[in-house]
Amino acid sequence: MASSNGNGRTPLIRAEGIWKIFGRNANKVIGTPDVDLSRAELREKTGCVAAVRDVSFDVYPGEVFVVMGLSGSGKSTLVRTLIRLIEPTAGRVEIDGRDVTAASRDQLLQMRRHTSSMVFQHFGLLAHRTVLDNVAFGLEVQGVAKSERHARAQEVLRLVGLEDAAGQFPDELSGGMQQRVGLARAFAVDPKVMLDAEPFSALDPLIRRDMQDEVIRLQHETGKTMVFITHDLPEALRLGDQIAIMRDGRVVQLGTPEELVGSPADDYVANFVRDIPRSHVLTLRWIMRDAKPGEEDGPKLDVATTVKRAVPLISDSERPVCAVDGGKIVGVVDKQAVLAAIAGEGD
Amino acid sequence: MAVAEAAQRIPHPLPAPWWRGKSGAAVLVVVAMLIAFLGWRNQGHWPAALTWNSVGPHLDRFQTWLSDNRNVPDPNLAFRAFNGLANFLDHLVAWSTRFFHWLTWAGTVVLGTLLVLRFGGRRAALGVLAAFASFAALGLWEESVETFSLMLAAVSLSLLVGVPLGVLAGRSSRFNRAVTPVLDAMQIIPAFAYLMPVVILFSVGPGAAVVTTMIYAVPPAIRITALGIRGVHPNTVEAATALGSTRWQVLTKVQLPLARRMLLLSVNQTILFALSMVVIAGLIGGQGLGDSVTNGLYTDPAMAIFAGAAIVIMAISLDRATEAMANRTDPAHRHLTADRSRQLRTYTAACAAAVGLTVVLGHVLNAGADWSRWTAQDWLRQYVQRGLDYVQNPSTFLFRDLTNPTGNFIVQHGIQPLRSFFIETPWPVTLIGLVLIAFLLSGLRPALIALVMLFVVGFVGEWTNAMDTFSQVLVATVLTVIVGFVLGVWAAENRYVSRALRPINDVLQTLPQLVYIIPFIYLMPVSGVPGIVASVLYAAPVMIRLVQRGIEGVSPETVEAATAYGATRLQVLLKVKIPLARDAIMLGVNQAIIMVLAVVVIGGLVGSGALGYEVAQGLQRNAFGLGVVASIAILALGITLDRVTQGRVRARTQA
Repeated sequence: MASSNGNGRTPLIRAEGIWKIFGRNANKVIGTPDVDLSRAELREKTGCVAAVRDVSFDVYPGEVFVVMGLSGSGKSTLVRTLIRLIEPTAGRVEIDGRDVTAASRDQLLQMRRHTSSMVFQHFGLLAHRTVLDNVAFGLEVQGVAKSERHARAQEVLRLVGLEDAAGQFPDELSGGMQQRVGLARAFAVDPKVMLDAEPFSALDPLIRRDMQDEVIRLQHETGKTMVFITHDLPEALRLGDQIAIMRDGRVVQLGTPEELVGSPADDYVANFVRDIPRSHVLTLRWIMRDAKPGEEDGPKLDVATTVKRAVPLISDSERPVCAVDGGKIVGVVDKQAVLAAIAGEGD
Repeated sequence: MAVAEAAQRIPHPLPAPWWRGKSGAAVLVVVAMLIAFLGWRNQGHWPAALTWNSVGPHLDRFQTWLSDNRNVPDPNLAFRAFNGLANFLDHLVAWSTRFFHWLTWAGTVVLGTLLVLRFGGRRAALGVLAAFASFAALGLWEESVETFSLMLAAVSLSLLVGVPLGVLAGRSSRFNRAVTPVLDAMQIIPAFAYLMPVVILFSVGPGAAVVTTMIYAVPPAIRITALGIRGVHPNTVEAATALGSTRWQVLTKVQLPLARRMLLLSVNQTILFALSMVVIAGLIGGQGLGDSVTNGLYTDPAMAIFAGAAIVIMAISLDRATEAMANRTDPAHRHLTADRSRQLRTYTAACAAAVGLTVVLGHVLNAGADWSRWTAQDWLRQYVQRGLDYVQNPSTFLFRDLTNPTGNFIVQHGIQPLRSFFIETPWPVTLIGLVLIAFLLSGLRPALIALVMLFVVGFVGEWTNAMDTFSQVLVATVLTVIVGFVLGVWAAENRYVSRALRPINDVLQTLPQLVYIIPFIYLMPVSGVPGIVASVLYAAPVMIRLVQRGIEGVSPETVEAATAYGATRLQVLLKVKIPLARDAIMLGVNQAIIMVLAVVVIGGLVGSGALGYEVAQGLQRNAFGLGVVASIAILALGITLDRVTQGRVRARTQA
């Protein structure tokens, strides 16, 4: 997966203090002490529902940014405010250096056509069009000529392995295949940013895994920046470079997968990650200690190796393994540390 | 111990026996009314002091003023615009008729059949061909063409108005909320009630017929279009928006194509609604079959029956044809490949060529605009006349033992006693009693509406007639509810019954209102009976459907649970299904009462008397004021009945 480290680069997506409050007089809630009320209290007092509360994050080019939360946590609303499918009540969104929240209707349209694209939970395919015309739809609304957009659509269909289904209709395809069409439609416009709104939640578990692999592959091949919404923690951990966990409209923790598993911010997150096998997520960075003198000549492993992958080497080695970051030894890992990490699972 | 304490803490009133509830109070009100009826019979007629007798004359003067100002050589701008509109409507029908004449009868047949064959399939096309054949055989070719032209003009204008408004209502919730009460009102008003105002504005002629038809046919066009647009999955719209579609692109590329089937179904419904008005339009200058029916009713019964049959045939074949077209051309299910659509284009071209060729041949061979060769009219007339003679012969079994006694029974034990009860009870008692019952049934608001509306009825001087119509409506509604409830429950419980009833219901629901009455004018020629029987036939299918759907809609888990506790089938029905289906049943009563009212007033044409008769008189004798006053009373009665029966459902759903 692409680098999770965005230091020194400018973010492609920058969200600052996004609020979405549904209900009458939603505008009047922000700026009053009422914003600090819990959801239930706010509803009781003003009749408004706060779906997204003061969310800020940056997404760097090539990164997969996952927003994870249970239903009602505000994650679907959040992703829709990014391209103003739902107007945010307050806050600022910037994509590719341009202010989305201040954009005119026309600018917004151009941005939706050329900068972003979106994949939906229930696919949102057009039942009256062939797969080919569905994939070409984004180009069609841009005004691209028929032959050109069909050629591009064919190309993208090949990318998702559906070149033979071009002439079929959505209802003739399985759910997984329909979502491949959805993915192809999003890729066809060659967007800078892809927004995935729970794209695999409606699919069977096995197909879901296939589709996750597909997304990882496509992301590798094309280097697209993604904002991926899910309610499934394993999915979030598999795909995400950065993960934001949402609860009741707020981000309760934002970090890399290993940060979430290694040091959950609160009980809510801890409860979530409890059943995740830590050795699959944590890297050597997480369990290493400083090297004592004379330990620097042990076998070397990259510091970003997961514990699970490091186990064979460490168990075979008499000496502690050195964790290397950019050719420099940053710490050592011994058998006790590995055993402690594995033994800590399931607590 | 804890349980016992909890039980003590929560107050547990025993359910009150029925006579202490609202039903008991309603019975008390009725008893009080009965006492007043017996004690002070005929001693309280609506006082002249509370009547505004000059409504009618005022309206007559308005009508004269209107026609005077309209027909001066150089009318002012408003009148000129209005005349232009009226003329345009008149001409629209004439143009359409002339177009079919130009096609010749052969061209018309080939155009209609091939159009349906191309878009609706073989079965529907055969139906259309059979319809053409029967118009020719009945000797009603020209009348059918006229009726079809009238309908075509009314339907195209209705769609021109209805579809854009429906699209708006489908896309904007605010507009939808604003337009819904207007549509509700338009659909409550019996068609008979707005004939008079339209005639005053447009005077008798095809234009008035088109306008009347539109008032009736636009609401379903708006509603179904809006439903279709709303039915497009929000996901799909969102996806198109996210890809940068403009609102116009979303409409043309996503919403309209996906709603196409519903749009065509709205055409189908608009056609049926329009056709249903076409007969009534015969009363106000719509020519064609409607004219034959309304004239034939008095002078030539066989002709009325033929024209009625032609309307039925037209309704059924158009219904089937448009439904087939809607289903077969639905782009979401048709899956048209490039090859196939090229084939279809060739097919279309071939059909067009065939039509062209027929028209040319028709002109060369002098086929003529009208089918004037052989018809079976005279031959059929013999049989119909013989049938009419048989059913009206007092000595036959049918008349002596079946139709006559049934009719008399309904009159003697239904209409007559009710009518004298409502008319002869002192009016304040009737008024207050009815308002109290409305209050007990459905609450304060409907009761206040009933009070105001009933007062309006008396104020315009129609108290007696309105009470007469009301008693007929009550009898017919009771019959409809009994028939509809029994058959609906039976159909829900037995799929053979359900399967047998479905086609009958389908046909009954496509027929125009007046057509129901025709056979019973001859079968049961006793004062209001034809109107009542016809209204039962007209309203029962809807009641049956709603009861059946309500009972079938009870969740299977609930039924399973009751069965698991050992309930018999009858117990499941009485204790679970019927109580749970109560809202659907009450909705059925509401619909039934409105439909009954619409037909009962039409019955005024054929001896039901009361409000409908005054409208008919107004139309036939140019007594506009009188007709409008009766129309106002019909409207007031309709609103009262609708609000009171709907309030019941609303009160329950809120509880």
